Amino acid sequence: MNEAYTNNLLMIDLSNNTHEILPTSKPLTADFIGGKGFGAKLLFDNLAPDTDPLGPDNLLMFFPGPLTGTMAPAMRGCVVTKSPLTGIFLDSYFGGSLAAEIKYAGYDGIIVKGRAKQPVYLWISDNRVEICDAGHLWGADTLEANRLIKNELDDDSIKIATIGQAGENKILYSLICCEYNRQAGRGGAGAVMGSKNLKAIAVKGSKLVNIHDPGEFKKACQDAVLELEQSPDVEALRVAGTASAIEYANETGLLPHKNYQYGTFARASKIADKGQSKHLWLGSNACMGCPIRCSKIGAVRTGKYKGFVTDIIEYESAALLGSNLDISDIRAVAHLVKLCDLYGMDSMSTGTIIGFAMEACEKGLIEAPGGIDLKFGSIEAAEYLIHAIANLKDPLGKLLSKGVKQAARVIGNHAEDIAVHTKGLESPAWGPRGVSGMALALMTTDRGGCHQRGFPVSYELGGEWNGTPLDPLSPEGKAQMVVALQNYSAGTDTVVKCDFGTFGISEKTYIRMLSAATGRVYSSDIFYITGERIWNVVRLFNLSQGLDISEDMLPRRFVEEPLPDGPAKGHRISKKDMAYMKKEYYKKRGWDENGVPLETTLKRLRIDYARSNQ
Amino acid sequence: MDLFGGYNPRLSRLVILNKKENLYHFPVVCNQCENAYCMNVCPTKAIKRNADGIVVIDPEKCIACGLCADYCPIKVVCLDPETGKAFKCELCQGKPLCIEACPTKALELVRMDNKGKINE
Repeated sequence: MNEAYTNNLLMIDLSNNTHEILPTSKPLTADFIGGKGFGAKLLFDNLAPDTDPLGPDNLLMFFPGPLTGTMAPAMRGCVVTKSPLTGIFLDSYFGGSLAAEIKYAGYDGIIVKGRAKQPVYLWISDNRVEICDAGHLWGADTLEANRLIKNELDDDSIKIATIGQAGENKILYSLICCEYNRQAGRGGAGAVMGSKNLKAIAVKGSKLVNIHDPGEFKKACQDAVLELEQSPDVEALRVAGTASAIEYANETGLLPHKNYQYGTFARASKIADKGQSKHLWLGSNACMGCPIRCSKIGAVRTGKYKGFVTDIIEYESAALLGSNLDISDIRAVAHLVKLCDLYGMDSMSTGTIIGFAMEACEKGLIEAPGGIDLKFGSIEAAEYLIHAIANLKDPLGKLLSKGVKQAARVIGNHAEDIAVHTKGLESPAWGPRGVSGMALALMTTDRGGCHQRGFPVSYELGGEWNGTPLDPLSPEGKAQMVVALQNYSAGTDTVVKCDFGTFGISEKTYIRMLSAATGRVYSSDIFYITGERIWNVVRLFNLSQGLDISEDMLPRRFVEEPLPDGPAKGHRISKKDMAYMKKEYYKKRGWDENGVPLETTLKRLRIDYARSNQ
Repeated sequence: MDLFGGYNPRLSRLVILNKKENLYHFPVVCNQCENAYCMNVCPTKAIKRNADGIVVIDPEKCIACGLCADYCPIKVVCLDPETGKAFKCELCQGKPLCIEACPTKALELVRMDNKGKINE
């Protein structure tokens, strides 16, 4: 039957220098669809409790979705592994065209296990899989490694995932660069790749991604494009990408300033679309086949840092390496982001960690390295720390390479009070003190401090969800919304969608595209059910890896320190509010008071069934 | 999709060249060259110019030698990975599918005279 699955999973064992092709099993596609679902299930089934994330037994998996590589708009790929930063489940998403190339090479996923004895890279060209020496690439940054491999294979059309020096040095928040300006950024997947001595994965595919019902599929895709065109949110992204969110976050008091102490930044417009369009942008750019084209590509062509290509400084990076550090020179922020990208280090975590170090130094908890004025607003200090962390250069660089949670523990002396993270993953640039639903979402995300598992902010500030009025400051009625948003997000992460696509494309249209592509029949609530199943499997996985449920909480700053500015001035998420929302949340999830899924919940979601049949 | 029954941009009749970390994008389409090297090098005369001036390949006569793809200066003659036979943009009998598929309506079909002037 013609369908969008390739029905092959490529399994590579770097310890034994072997590879095999496994069938994508029917129960796996039926219960988990693809992407995040495949990753959750395979990680849960294959990782023993307390697996060392940087050891050979961890799996590093790349999944396109069933719709990736087709005409369906706004599709991506994801990397799934056990995070060395948090010790729990990690899924990290990337746009561009690498994920589609994996499909064209004939695979629903690439799974890497083991550890190579020497640095290697993978060269996958359809059925041909080679494990090549990468000794000469070790030490190269993400883009240099990309260029060297393209030269070596004499083909510019190959798509390549690389790590930089940060991944080689196993900085715990290293990323995987999925060329160009696209990264599997969060949670340290690059360090897992580095721990396997795997410098890069180069892919070229000449096969077709087939469609079960091309006529209906085309119609559904056209409707999806129309829905995107009609969305004002998508229109905002088309004009100014996520940079447009900076002014919004500033006006609503959610923009982190000085290590999240404040929620507004007087010079916000300098790092927002206004400053970026003036100093950086030259044109629009899109991931493969995406009509949204939220990327605004350009270059820093004047000033101290001139002479490099930069993509849009998207919201999270602009906030965390900009306002959060009290830096408003957008060309300098672009420079800092580019350094992170080249070393292969998550610009979000890096921004939070540098903010933490600046505050810790100002408070006398740590000493500045010699000659460095480690304080908010210092571009030089931020740049120094990026080099020091990526290269493990001095004691402070080494300490900060472990992430803000571990660094604060080592420093002691109440440094943990100013460490902003959930479960070890540095928080995103959405201070939640004025939006309690966002607070609950951050408390309960499956991978730690993340805003992409449900983003209630717009509903809370809009005052309504699903027809029910909402007070952004009250803990009432938030659990139900957060559970639903998380389930839908996890459910659609199986296809693998870009979050921005969901601003326009309706649930019904996603299901039509999926059904026409795969030839399977789906219920109208398939994404909610599959998302809930995934959410529970990930919970079981996280518990098996030693997750302490007391970590379903916010960093202290959002709990004890009232917001000093913005419309929600004076507000914080109290311990009482946290406890209330958490209790409600566990109940809605069908978990016991300790956050463990109840047998009845697992049975309802057929998780036992799924486990015993694969 | 419509020509091969599935998706893969490597089989598309036009190519988007991305340069300098995706700072520049160049859509490259067949020029239907006046002095068409693909036509000149074809040993079986499978490549001919039709009445509309479009350079077309007769798959019956094509022996899959690949010379046309080798000598196309802008690399828009491709080879079918299964049959090895050459294919190129023949403007889909006047109704290009790429124009129909483009979600942002970035493509249009125009006629140019031999001085490069667009005739409306």
